[in-house]
Amino acid sequence: MKMHAKNRNVAIIGIGQTSLSSHKEDQNQAEMVHEAVRNALADAGLKIGDIDCIVHGNMELFEMQFAPDLWHSLGTGAYGKDEYRITTGGTTGATLVCAADNLVASGLYNTVLAIGMEKLQEGNTTGGITNMADPLWFRNLQTGALTGTTAQEMIDEFGEERAKRAAMRYRIMMDKHAMLNQRAHRRFGLEYSQMEDLMANSPPLVGELRLIHMCSQSDGACAMIFTSEEKVKQGTKNPPVWIRDHIQVHREETIPNLFGFNKPEVTHHLAARKLFARNGIQDPVAYFDVFEMYDPSAWWAVDWLREFFLLKGDEHLRMLEAGDFDLDGRIPINPSGGVIASNPIGATAMLRLAEAALQIRGDAGGHQIKKEVRHALASGFGGTFWSVLMILEKELNWQEVNHD
Amino acid sequence: MTEYFGTTVADIFATMPKRFKPEEAKEVDIAIGYEATGEGGGKWKATIKHGTLKVETVEGELTGCKTTIHTDAETFVGVTLGKISALDALSSQKLRVAGDPKFLMLLLPKIFTPYAAPAKKPDAVTARDIIATLAERFRPEKAEGVAMTIGYDLAGEGGGKWTIVIRDGKCAVREGLADPLTVKMTMEAKTYAGMMVGTIEAVTAFTSGQVKIEGDMAAAAATAKYFRKYVVPGATEAEELISLRVTNSIEQRFATGPVMGRWFAGIREKKFLANRCPKCGRTQIPPREICAWCRVRVHEFVEVGPKGVVTHFDIVYFASPDPLTGAVRDTPYATVYVVLDGATEREAITVDLKKEDIPRLKEGARVRPVWAAVTTGSYRDLIGVELDEEEGSL
Amino acid sequence: MATKRVAICAVAQHKNDSDLWHKRFQGMLLDVLEELQAQTGFTFDEETGVNTIVSCSDDFFDARTISNNGVTDVLGAQYRGEEKMAQEGLNAVGYAQAVILSGYADMVLVMGHCKESQSESRRMIANMGFDPFYGRAVGLDNLNAAALQARAYMKKAGLTEEHLAGIVVRARQFAARNPYANAREIVEAGKVVASPQLCDPIRQLHAYPVSDGAVGMLLASEERAAEFTDKPVWIAGFANCMDSYFLGDRDLTANFALKQAAGRAYRKAGIADPRKEIDLVEVMDAYAYQQPLWLEGLGLCGDGEGARFLDQGGQEKYSVNLSGGMLAGNPVIIAGLYRAAEAALQLKGEAGERQVPDLHRAVAHSTTGAAGQFHSVLILER
Repeated sequence: MKMHAKNRNVAIIGIGQTSLSSHKEDQNQAEMVHEAVRNALADAGLKIGDIDCIVHGNMELFEMQFAPDLWHSLGTGAYGKDEYRITTGGTTGATLVCAADNLVASGLYNTVLAIGMEKLQEGNTTGGITNMADPLWFRNLQTGALTGTTAQEMIDEFGEERAKRAAMRYRIMMDKHAMLNQRAHRRFGLEYSQMEDLMANSPPLVGELRLIHMCSQSDGACAMIFTSEEKVKQGTKNPPVWIRDHIQVHREETIPNLFGFNKPEVTHHLAARKLFARNGIQDPVAYFDVFEMYDPSAWWAVDWLREFFLLKGDEHLRMLEAGDFDLDGRIPINPSGGVIASNPIGATAMLRLAEAALQIRGDAGGHQIKKEVRHALASGFGGTFWSVLMILEKELNWQEVNHD
Repeated sequence: MTEYFGTTVADIFATMPKRFKPEEAKEVDIAIGYEATGEGGGKWKATIKHGTLKVETVEGELTGCKTTIHTDAETFVGVTLGKISALDALSSQKLRVAGDPKFLMLLLPKIFTPYAAPAKKPDAVTARDIIATLAERFRPEKAEGVAMTIGYDLAGEGGGKWTIVIRDGKCAVREGLADPLTVKMTMEAKTYAGMMVGTIEAVTAFTSGQVKIEGDMAAAAATAKYFRKYVVPGATEAEELISLRVTNSIEQRFATGPVMGRWFAGIREKKFLANRCPKCGRTQIPPREICAWCRVRVHEFVEVGPKGVVTHFDIVYFASPDPLTGAVRDTPYATVYVVLDGATEREAITVDLKKEDIPRLKEGARVRPVWAAVTTGSYRDLIGVELDEEEGSL
Repeated sequence: MATKRVAICAVAQHKNDSDLWHKRFQGMLLDVLEELQAQTGFTFDEETGVNTIVSCSDDFFDARTISNNGVTDVLGAQYRGEEKMAQEGLNAVGYAQAVILSGYADMVLVMGHCKESQSESRRMIANMGFDPFYGRAVGLDNLNAAALQARAYMKKAGLTEEHLAGIVVRARQFAARNPYANAREIVEAGKVVASPQLCDPIRQLHAYPVSDGAVGMLLASEERAAEFTDKPVWIAGFANCMDSYFLGDRDLTANFALKQAAGRAYRKAGIADPRKEIDLVEVMDAYAYQQPLWLEGLGLCGDGEGARFLDQGGQEKYSVNLSGGMLAGNPVIIAGLYRAAEAALQLKGEAGERQVPDLHRAVAHSTTGAAGQFHSVLILER
């Protein structure tokens, strides 16, 4: 597979998040955005005048705000600047990072600030997600992003006890990570000793998908600043984190055709397969030091680990059971606590990138991985099983290995 | 020492010397007796003479007082803090004054700075403190026509069992659990306190199983709006943050076009008309203008079904409310994925299963459509599917 | 190293219509996709074909939370990369250029659609663009915000009812020669002046009609463009700019954002004097008064000189809106994309009855938000 030659290298040099919560009545949308932008500028040691271009994204119908970037410009600092608004559903935050990468790499802009936001408490989220379905046919049947089919498939494949324990182990692991992350929205203090109780008693939503398995609905914003290699050479406040490559895989609208008698290749698998191949990564588990995955539910998360790491059979369950995905494991998953802990949808996928970059910098704080993080993977998820996958690097040293 | 509204009777007397304003009391010569009954109560005597103050606890009879105040400890604290109207307490005889009450009401604010409950860390507030403020935080205007009985079973320190009765625009708090209850909530007292002071999120506590709710869930969720927000004593009361509630709706008229339109024309005739990709042969349900895989326009329509096989199913226990009406359908309901007879193997259709059939639902079950009595060419024509048991299951 | 230049290889337009009640937007896009493929023969091959699509649509207008989800298949985006420009579509061209210059892709498909007729009222949607606390409550929308701007600008530039009528009459004359335009009937000035007031001073015929449409373009790197066309149109510069949000914070006739955007785009294109170096202009004139106002912003005449520009034949000098402009009807979400399509066709020499000779450089413009809060400028060259 052909690797494209990037016009110039792009680094993440600033990261700003707001607190993530279901209660942000003290800020309107533009003010919340501004909090993230201010934090990112402070992190990068830059002023808004240093930014050439803003990239903005969220879902209009979640807040019921048409062309929200116009109002949010009060908080993004877009006044007088170039600005793009790009949205792709749940993947928006990751797509914004791809876009910022492209904009800087193109040479058209030197320093770009991307911002993803959502104030889910200002709308009806599940209703908003349901509204993505075709209004003529499927909308009446959909329940937001909830489905129990993955749980059932895993139960069919691995047996009820093992599958349920795997999902709950993942869930409790995420909470343990979230407990270390001061910014995380939902932090329960779950213990592995509660596993049986939660498996039996957490209120069911759909089939074996229970309330405890599902992601939250949060208010929050994330902003990131990107600049060119030339600018990085002039000095940065924090160590730069390099964007090596990214891939986006979308698919058609119809969802039921994922639930017939057999399935096409899962988008996550395709994304991983292509991305790793063109970057010469043979063994992703060995190569990456952290994976920030967009995990909307514990069941999907466990299932998708197999897809993203191109694993076979029950390898992903064995790794989970062996603690390989724990914070101090072989390949830690979501030290931040993931989407299950915090989910301001338009910012969610960007938070994966932001958290992965913080791990590379060593600035993740309480949830910093102990061993050195040099290679990070991050994913976004949205639409009807759309996938975005991106590789971040600590050092600018991969070029020699992968170009044809 | 028992606390009311986050403080104790004793603290009110202990802070009296600090709050005393001697310059305002130069002309005053009076001894005031206080008798506070119930837990945390006692007797005190405050002697004010030409700019001096002496506060003493009294065992036995209160003697030598020009004026005495008799009340229960809770009312005493409530009135002192302004949480309970002194006039109301007097009128209801909860507070009685031997002597001239008017004189006291004028005098005391002049010679004492107002008492403020000691600032507490949020985690020092107990569930009992918070329950004690429920009645005063009640908002009758929000509870018009509401009749419900809410039970709290709060375990651990500062906990207990209470029943909150809301009826006829009034709210009463009683010790113990009544039977029957509209809804009963069981949790650790510290969890309840945490939720009330905002250090624990209610949804979080519920999701993680820290709160058990028995009875009417909707009632449990509604209770919050009947009460003003609890404010930790001594904390500056947060400025009220106004939020606007608006329902936005813009009417739409969706084209079906010649492809989806054909599907609906079929549905009206109780037929499933898929369209078949000329390249890969897949039968698209509902039909699309293009085959996404082959990127070719799809012209040919084929009738599939009407019966089919269940490949996957979802039993839905949580129904998402209609975004506009807020209406929530009955749960549990079953959504099934069905590959209709004659359809290609991936192209499932999603439909509801008849409720009575849920207990017998299995993957591989044969189903047949259930149509509306009158079909008009919309998704409403297909009510769902039911098990097709005459043929037996696979 | 990646490519230095990006070409628009082909454009395809769906005819604009006031009410395509019989057609889903999926069907409209598919027509556009097929026409592009017929023109260029491009494929979606993983190695040599389109792997990146930049779409443009809006969740409000489509009444779907992720509007691009409804059209993934007709964009050809199955198991490919796709990004939705959630702004006016001219920005999709600007962004697609960046995707190719970055080296990430060597060809990008740009596809935009919008059916204004689907919603009860486009003004209700525009109202949702105002802040929920004040702007919405007082009933602001793009029309009444434009009326404020119109009144201020008419006063400043000495623009009269006759000028406005002249703009509309001329737009219809060109629209009649554009098979993709919506409102193609010739109108007389008297009819324009007598048409009912929508929001004083904006009359019904001063405003663009409700429109449904779709546009597609194939962009490619300099190295690959020749595979798809022998008449590439080169992107010489693109920039956009955001103005203040609140109307009261802006001088509505100052063109702050447009001047910034145009200045940056001209710099990228190496244009020192736009009045000498631009041959053709397509501006997004949702309302008649906007045509001279935006031409001022583009620097083709001085501040407040719009009326004189019209009187002195500036429209013909710069071949302004030979497509009929937005006044002839394009959906607001892709009205700038239609501008770029027309500019590209003119540079290719494929503009049919509207074709003007000897073109070298053209400008396509678009704007978003109340009274032009946001402007985008694309410079194209032959």
